[in-house]
Amino acid sequence: MQRTTEPLLALQGVTKRFGSLVAVSEASLDIMPGEVHCILGENGAGKSTLCNLIFGVHVPDKGEMRFRGEIYRPTGPSDALVSGIAMVHQHFSLVHDMTVVDNVILGQQRGLVNTRAWVRRLERLANDYGFALDPYAKIDDLSVGERQRVEIIKCLIREPRLFVLDEPTAVLLPDEIAALLDICRRVANGGAAVVLVTHKLAEIKKAADRVTVLRGGRVVARSDRPAEEIDALVRAMIQGDVKSLDKSAASTLGVGEPERVRTTAAPSETPTPEAVQIDGLTVIDNQGVTRLDHFTLAIGPGEIVGVAGVEGNGQSELAAALSGMVEPASGRVFLGDTETTHLSPRQITAAGIGVVPEDRHAVGCVVEMSVAENIFLNRLDAFTRFGFLRRKELIEAAGDLMKRFDVRAAAPEIAFSALSGGNQQKAVLAREITLPKLAFLIAAQPTRGLDVGAVAAVYGHIRAACERGAAVLLISSELDELIAVADRIVVLYRGRIMGNCAADPSERESIGAMMAGQAR
Amino acid sequence: MTWELFAVFIGSSVRLAVPLFLAGTGELVSERAGVLNMSIEGMMLTGAFGAAVGAWATGNPAIGLLIGVVAVAPVALLQAVLSNTLRANQIVTGIGINILILGATTLAYREIFGARSREQIPGLAKWSPPLLGDIPVFGEAVFQQVWLFYAGIAIIVLTALVLRYTALGIAIHAAGAEPRAVDKSGVSVTGIRYLGVMFAGFMSALAGAFLSIGDIHTFTEGMTRGAGYLAIAAVIFGKWTLTGTVLACLLFGAATALQFQLPTLGVNIPNAFLIMLPYVLALLAVGGLAGRQTAPRALGEPYIRR
Amino acid sequence: MTDVALSGYRRIREWVRPSVVISISAVVVAGLLGLVLIFAINVSVPDALSAFIDGTVGSPYAIAASINRSIAFALVGIGFVIANRANLINVGGEGQIAVGGIAATAVALYGGVAGLPAGLPFIIPLVAAMVAGVIWGSIAGVLKIKVGTNEVISTLLLSFIAVWLVYWCVQSPALLRKPMTSSATLPESLEIPDPTKLPLLTGDYSFPLNTGLPVTVVIAIVAGLLLARSLFGVQLRAVGFNPIAASRAGISYQRMVMFALAIAGALGGLAGGIMLLGDQYVLKDGFSSGYGFDGLVAGLLARGSVVGVIAAALLFGFLRSGGINMEMVAGVPTALVMVIQGLIVVTLAGAAYFIRQRQ
Repeated sequence: MQRTTEPLLALQGVTKRFGSLVAVSEASLDIMPGEVHCILGENGAGKSTLCNLIFGVHVPDKGEMRFRGEIYRPTGPSDALVSGIAMVHQHFSLVHDMTVVDNVILGQQRGLVNTRAWVRRLERLANDYGFALDPYAKIDDLSVGERQRVEIIKCLIREPRLFVLDEPTAVLLPDEIAALLDICRRVANGGAAVVLVTHKLAEIKKAADRVTVLRGGRVVARSDRPAEEIDALVRAMIQGDVKSLDKSAASTLGVGEPERVRTTAAPSETPTPEAVQIDGLTVIDNQGVTRLDHFTLAIGPGEIVGVAGVEGNGQSELAAALSGMVEPASGRVFLGDTETTHLSPRQITAAGIGVVPEDRHAVGCVVEMSVAENIFLNRLDAFTRFGFLRRKELIEAAGDLMKRFDVRAAAPEIAFSALSGGNQQKAVLAREITLPKLAFLIAAQPTRGLDVGAVAAVYGHIRAACERGAAVLLISSELDELIAVADRIVVLYRGRIMGNCAADPSERESIGAMMAGQAR
Repeated sequence: MTWELFAVFIGSSVRLAVPLFLAGTGELVSERAGVLNMSIEGMMLTGAFGAAVGAWATGNPAIGLLIGVVAVAPVALLQAVLSNTLRANQIVTGIGINILILGATTLAYREIFGARSREQIPGLAKWSPPLLGDIPVFGEAVFQQVWLFYAGIAIIVLTALVLRYTALGIAIHAAGAEPRAVDKSGVSVTGIRYLGVMFAGFMSALAGAFLSIGDIHTFTEGMTRGAGYLAIAAVIFGKWTLTGTVLACLLFGAATALQFQLPTLGVNIPNAFLIMLPYVLALLAVGGLAGRQTAPRALGEPYIRR
Repeated sequence: MTDVALSGYRRIREWVRPSVVISISAVVVAGLLGLVLIFAINVSVPDALSAFIDGTVGSPYAIAASINRSIAFALVGIGFVIANRANLINVGGEGQIAVGGIAATAVALYGGVAGLPAGLPFIIPLVAAMVAGVIWGSIAGVLKIKVGTNEVISTLLLSFIAVWLVYWCVQSPALLRKPMTSSATLPESLEIPDPTKLPLLTGDYSFPLNTGLPVTVVIAIVAGLLLARSLFGVQLRAVGFNPIAASRAGISYQRMVMFALAIAGALGGLAGGIMLLGDQYVLKDGFSSGYGFDGLVAGLLARGSVVGVIAAALLFGFLRSGGINMEMVAGVPTALVMVIQGLIVVTLAGAAYFIRQRQ
């Protein structure tokens, strides 16, 4: 394999603005053929936008891109694909009720379709790269990891010159991550370039040939020997030292060994009366598939129990059932003496159960309404007299809460959509944690998409709620964060609890095994 | 009830169902691609008017048919531009177009034909397939239909084949279920949706033309009388499959045929109720007689690249 | 400029929001196009315009008739706007008017209310009209929450059914048809007894504004307050934007949808009742023709504001009166008015794109 000195892709001074937000600013970098190039940065640094610029989803406001020496100005993904650039996005774009092979065929040919020929090609390709794929399976029936493999194969079947992956490992099991990095290495060895976007330092250490660091939309560091310069890279990424980071925030980046933040309280033998008891909770979906299978757990007051597991193994259903959004097929839930199994969301909130949902835009807030309305969305009637809403009181109270929780916005009246992701999450958290008699807090993927500062703030508030006596159920696919913050961890796999253990770094391997389906 | 009457009933049901399943097929393709085309009613009316005027002016119904199709093109284009490029609310634009076309065709009709509101217009010829047409009793009643009926069936079969066995079919399915997948694969979502709307327009033109120059041989103001909405209901009833849609249309056609059939049998149900029947059936259909609806996920939402 | 003047100027600027400007422009452009069409069909434009003006404001009777029409449009439009706040599109205005008319006529004629005191002879039929409208709207509501049926298609189909129900009622002597004295007896109901007719505001038949007007004004004020200031209004908005998040926050999606469609139905039914009891006095086939769509378009034009609905309703009320006169006197078919309305809707729908660009 000959290494040419000319970069495959060169960006020079690229800038992209969305309204008043500058997502990428004067970014310059080159990608060489045959390398695995990682783009490192925390959430919100502009990595996804950069990828979207390369793939033609957005058009840069300033600057120039060159691909194989020629000016490269894609107006859409089709231009990128024609040039030989393929991309796996963070949020998959697969047609849910179509088969794998049809999803691959989409956009690849015209006219009559010879499905069998495509199936043969697919099977051959999957074989070459060492993964199993059923071409006739419907996307709906596949796990998240399997769906990502379909996305990858959609790209590889085009034999791209540049293969871009945007945060691919967030949804994978530990072994799947290793397999993915392996695939990247093989693609690079074949002469193509691989761009891997990540905020996980472990991946950098394992896979990266070269690294470009983004912060606040700007390129702040580069490295040709990333494994040796990790500390410098981290410093550039967060503009500070690793040691200055809150332990939970550090765990987000996967830096070093997460030290225990709390002393492990000995799990009490008999749950105290105010605790939470979940007994045999089962959720079956519309197609008759059991998504949550006899989930049983007890949580003491002031205790944080983590639920580990890769997305799609029942976590969403667990949170939905506990928050009153979905009727469980069987099982019971008790908060102290009160049964909460079949309560409506309104009653759940009244009982003192706060929920920070995993998809804040879909379930947590109404982005078109104001910050104030969102912060009190579940207790607007506290500000109502004779059916009329007292706006001034609402806005004042909202302003107070915003100050307490450091929700940064121009005013409580502005639209929720104007807030950054981190501030939105802080607002949702503020709403749930300040419930009058909060006894049980359910936080599902609470730090997803947040920068380290926001991550630290979120865990700070969660811990504070704990200290006030609330029981906390922390559902997260970020294992390192769970180990740093939780007291103990249960692992969900295909809806069942595989086992539980103390939230200790030494347990990481066995937890990883459980996440992959090996019962303890 | 004699066999003759039954044959006539089947024949009428089929005949009355023709505009429905022609329009329904077009609407199905449009909705599968993600565009809810409420303006089917208006497009049918345009086709009916264009075909009627064309046939009357040239004396040749086939040319009338052609003119009907051509007349619908700008309407379909308008709907396509509004729904896809300008990303307007698809329901509002559909209804607006319907109001506009109703007014425009009524106005134009008054202008051209003046007081002669029941002008006879040369109609499309009938045809029946060789063997089937000769079956005793049933042959003539059922299979002797306007040739457009057979052409329509051919088009529908072709549509089914395209949807199932071609790359275009995959793209249409994807455009309605997950347009991002289409975009990220380099195919134009807007292009597919424009195609869907234009096809719906084409089929609606055929449907409308059938009404005016195939069936009644005249044009009356607002002659589609909600048939377009029945077609939309048929797509829902048929759960967004082509077979289901056509069957639903046949059912509605049969319900309409009852209006003429039952009195001849001496059954004394008020005429108004029979006229209402297809709509009641359609309401029951969309009201869940067919189970929970599973519309294409992105139906009605304009696609914005993010 | 002083502070006061500046703030006044700013408030006027706020009113002249892009959406208001575009609504008005759409109407103006469509109107101009209408003039062009009049010219194209070889009618003298000055003749047409003078017939139009005569029909709208040419006499106290014309003005009152226009306002009476506007009442129906306003009620349907307000219903539309309320339902739309929850992201529901009620297209069944005409059907709701129809069943309202049926109920009002039936109760007025055969409900034995004519002898009651204190305004009950017309209040009770009006209430019956509202109840009929509530039922009609609720059918669509139930279908939506139980099965997920798109309310556009269900209200539309219900509308067709309701119109044919009217036809049935006036065709069938067993229902509401007046006794057939000869073969030439028209298919319509008897005239409602005098006590059940809505009292006139001025008592003068040449200026026949009835009590429907103050009722509508009150409803408009209540609706405006409801949408802008009440908890219910905020909850409607939340459900309209994000039903799942609203649900999680304890706002019942089912209840909001039912309320919204029931209210829209009630207002449509009331419009039908007022039309019968205040103006037409006899139930005839097709009495609701076009009123539903006009109300709908008024609701669309208004872009969510009750004041907008009133303005649009008045516009269409006068437009329709003028249109009828234009047809009678100058020979311009009323279909022209429909063309103008269709153009307005289409223009507005497309213009929303440009408003969004500005924001």
